[in-house]
Amino acid sequence: MLLVEATDLSKHYGQVKALDALDLQVEPGIIGLVGANGAGKSTLIKILLGVISPTSGSASVLGMDVVREAPEIRKVVGYMPEHDCLPPDVGATEFVSHMARISGLPRSAARERTAEVLRHVGLYEERYRQIGGYSTGMKQRVKLAQALVHDPKLLLLDEPTNGLDPAGRDEMLDLISRTGNEFGIAIVVASHLLGEIEQVCSFLLAIDAGRLLRAAPISAFTALTPVLAVEVEEGADRLAVALAGRGFKTRAEEACVLVALEDETIYDAVRDAVADLGLPLIRMEQERRRLEDLFRDPAPAAGSVQ
Amino acid sequence: MSAQNGVAASASVPAGNIYDLGYRHYEGKRHGRWYAIWSLYVESMRGVWGLGRPMTAKAAPFILAGIYALPALFQLAFSAEISNEIASGQAPRLFAYDNYFATVSFFIVLFLVAQAPELVCRDQRYQVLPLYFTRALGRVDYAMAKLAALASALFIVLMVPMVALFIGGVLMKPDTLQAIGDELPTALPAIPTCALAAVSLASISLALSAFSPRRAYSAIGLIAYFLLMEIVPEVIFRVGDRAGWDWADKLVPLRPTTAISAATDWFFGKNLQGAEFPRTLGADAYVLAVLVSVVVFVGILVFRYRKVAA
Repeated sequence: MLLVEATDLSKHYGQVKALDALDLQVEPGIIGLVGANGAGKSTLIKILLGVISPTSGSASVLGMDVVREAPEIRKVVGYMPEHDCLPPDVGATEFVSHMARISGLPRSAARERTAEVLRHVGLYEERYRQIGGYSTGMKQRVKLAQALVHDPKLLLLDEPTNGLDPAGRDEMLDLISRTGNEFGIAIVVASHLLGEIEQVCSFLLAIDAGRLLRAAPISAFTALTPVLAVEVEEGADRLAVALAGRGFKTRAEEACVLVALEDETIYDAVRDAVADLGLPLIRMEQERRRLEDLFRDPAPAAGSVQ
Repeated sequence: MSAQNGVAASASVPAGNIYDLGYRHYEGKRHGRWYAIWSLYVESMRGVWGLGRPMTAKAAPFILAGIYALPALFQLAFSAEISNEIASGQAPRLFAYDNYFATVSFFIVLFLVAQAPELVCRDQRYQVLPLYFTRALGRVDYAMAKLAALASALFIVLMVPMVALFIGGVLMKPDTLQAIGDELPTALPAIPTCALAAVSLASISLALSAFSPRRAYSAIGLIAYFLLMEIVPEVIFRVGDRAGWDWADKLVPLRPTTAISAATDWFFGKNLQGAEFPRTLGADAYVLAVLVSVVVFVGILVFRYRKVAA
């Protein structure tokens, strides 16, 4: 069954097109949803939750229509909002088990699941203290815990690493990846940081200004390109000229020379050119496509060297 | 040396990991919307009284509820002393079921100002609402659960002095069983009266509180409403009485606590007395006014939660 499906999905706020004719078909897994701030990530998530309804088009989650079957969807979905959503004057245990009951879990099951989930996200003794005294990292954990407490089939995480320091970010990403891979819970994680998405996701949706830029497995985004990067400590421009003189298409980029990888002879040519010029060679490697290129070029021509 | 290392190594492992059984899926029962509403109701009831919160959160509701009940409790404490005088007709009963609210209603307004904003402002201010609305709970469900919680809390506050008066009334007489039989018929109208007062005051104060995420602003708004709506119709009625405006008396049932006092008289089958009540209006007009205000303010509350950002 498809995790998320959307046909011609649009959401307009007056003149502003938050989502513009989005077509999606996504299989279960850890799905990254990337885009700049205001690209429409949160709008899409809220439509999938049935909190706001689309202006036109339709969408479904786990085969259920977001407009007609919103109550059914909400039973099997956990949502972690982008903003703060925790009252400061209760403990994490009390708050999360309350949310579990709102999700329909009986009292004893709610208590049990709360203890389990808080341990899973890494909150131990401090879970009885008032949330107001927590660090940002701990608050993010509580937010994740409340989304996970009713054992959803799909987790929608909106900017889960917001406001975290690098260590906290790595822990949160690790938590997301364990939740998705070991527990078999499908996850849609929205972020404006490509580096994060790359670390945990198996599939990527890139949206920009409400339009779908690209939807593909992460490997497709970072595939090898027919470009050889040659890094030298100095004299990159001289090397570029020398290689161009041997009939290769080249482009100098800071300390790197990018050479079009047409056949195997290039390796020998680089070796000879570097030796002739007496340059200190650091690295020679086939270039991978980078995620950032997605947003840099409107139509990324596959690894061409201009 | 090696023993020390062993201790150090085991101490560095977080205690939780030893018992970590890994993630287990939940296969048990899941309730639906009504259970979610009930859970929110219970949680909100606890919230009104500050249960599960720090001591500072418990202070206001318990003190204010206590102050409201205090006159009745005093009367109960000294019932033995005054019972002889009352029995011999030397002293009237100070507080009775039908005049208690009218006399002490100021403190119930204080209770509302303190606790109604607590119920609804917190979830808006700390943006907890999206977590509710992405679960089984609907927007109207949320508003109704909160309203039911405040109304129940108020009902308890209003009933405590009634029960105290009842106990006092029974203890004043030598034959307890006989006394209960005598007292009960006069006391029973207190139950529907308190229920109506609780629903009316809860709907007014919750609807007004819900418009601001800030507790302080909501509290000020409530004070302003209860003060102005008590004073303004009164002033217009007095002025109109002299100036001969025949519509001015129709405004008096708009006074929130006065209307409840008058409705109390209706439930106890008394005629309205006192200069504040126009002769042109019967007690039933006030009951109607209270019922209409419940409908209006519940409507405002629902309207607010249909629009509130989540």
